[in-house]
Amino acid sequence: MRYSETLLDHFRNPRNAGMMREPDGVGEGEYPECMDLARVYLRVRRGRVVEARFQSYGCGPTIATSSAGTELITGAPLEELVELSSARVERAVGGLPEDRAHAAEVVSAAIRAAARDALGRMGRT
Amino acid sequence: MNRRVYLDHNASTPVHPEVLEAMLPYFGERFGNPSSVHAFGREARDGVETARERVAEFLRAGKDEIVFTSGGTESDNFAIKGVAAARGHGHLITSAIEHHAVLRTCQALEAQGFEATYLPVDGVGMVDPDDVKRALRPDTILVSLMHANSEVGTIQPVAAVGQLTRERGIPFHVDAVQTCGKVPIDVEAFGIDLLSFSGHKIYGPKGVAGLYIRKGTKLVSVQHGGEHERRRRAGTENVPGIVGLGRAVEIRGRDMEAEAPRLAALRDRLWQGISAAAPEVRLNGHATRRLPGTCNMCFRHVESESVVLGLDLKGIGVSAGSACTSGNVEPSYVLVAMGVPVDWAMGSVRCSLGRSTTAEDIDYVIESVVPLVAKLRSLSPARV
Repeated sequence: MRYSETLLDHFRNPRNAGMMREPDGVGEGEYPECMDLARVYLRVRRGRVVEARFQSYGCGPTIATSSAGTELITGAPLEELVELSSARVERAVGGLPEDRAHAAEVVSAAIRAAARDALGRMGRT
Repeated sequence: MNRRVYLDHNASTPVHPEVLEAMLPYFGERFGNPSSVHAFGREARDGVETARERVAEFLRAGKDEIVFTSGGTESDNFAIKGVAAARGHGHLITSAIEHHAVLRTCQALEAQGFEATYLPVDGVGMVDPDDVKRALRPDTILVSLMHANSEVGTIQPVAAVGQLTRERGIPFHVDAVQTCGKVPIDVEAFGIDLLSFSGHKIYGPKGVAGLYIRKGTKLVSVQHGGEHERRRRAGTENVPGIVGLGRAVEIRGRDMEAEAPRLAALRDRLWQGISAAAPEVRLNGHATRRLPGTCNMCFRHVESESVVLGLDLKGIGVSAGSACTSGNVEPSYVLVAMGVPVDWAMGSVRCSLGRSTTAEDIDYVIESVVPLVAKLRSLSPARV
């Protein structure tokens, strides 16, 4: 198996899956070449993420990385998330094969967009 | 430990125990070079020639019309480039859903100045013989058509096309890698001049295949060297592999007639079980004129590879129609040519059954795939 155990665990048992009602921030990341799409919802209290959820369409790594990404950002301040690197998301899922690196790009883009959206709603763009 | 179910027989098959048994002596005591004149060489030669007879019998061909190669890809290259080299210039006809071994060979010849027509297929993946007729030109040098498509299993009307080419004296190549050993083939009745076949799709070993070359077909060798295979394909013969291929073809000739209805029933059980329980699923390929063990389905709003990974984690081996390579996902070109919409084609999964497949296996796959697809859909944002 060329995927990490962490990735497979997140694929088998995705955490934080599903939409969120009345989120404080929403963002999407897309990888058109691959048609992958990740949507991340944030619940924010005092500038920090208290709950994150996702919906994703794509290959197994994209779904697993979405799950790992939402775990990674829970508790994090929004200011930090607007600059979240795909490398950090990739580490959270135990690494990705080179030809699946887009999974971390899609998910990190969705998280950054959701954080920007949340900051915007708070009037702190 | 999960149950293990292999439903990827169109990709490869396990070597049949009787095939392995036939091959083993040729790794050991019968190791000789078939070109050698001594007894060691003659033993190896006998093994190769017995295999040739078995293949010829299956195809209803002459023994001298069979050439062994290293794989289906080499056979396709040999047939197409061999005819092209013999003619020097001209026009080729093939279909849009051929294996890459045919498509890319034709494209390579186009780059050298040959012309090619890639015929369309209908919604079930069938080439219309009338389209072949319309595409024929005075300078057409070859028609190359697969017998059955590896992805969807649709069996092409090769006999009707063979009649057209025979009337005009145009060589007709058939890529029968997915059919030789699964359905009956009669090169004479079908009007076939060149036919590619392979070992590892029919419980033979990998790395061995062959090309039927009708006597009198003008063909230039692609691989040059020694005098092997009646100077048509140079290189010391893969003796154990050829012996295994011959035995595999013989066994298929014995077993395939009884196996086909059993596999077709299991294939239909799989489709009925899945389509009854999962919404938005479609079957690809012809309803009846299809390989008995092939079931290709599209699950809408699900990405093929996530289904393949999910089933892999349940011990089930199937293949994805769309392939993600280097971050690009291409929906299957076969399904696209059949007019399957992209949002469906992205979720195509091929299950190909084989001699070891049981009803319990099929039920396990149904039990596994239905909740998996439902789960993947529940994770997905609405995108259409």
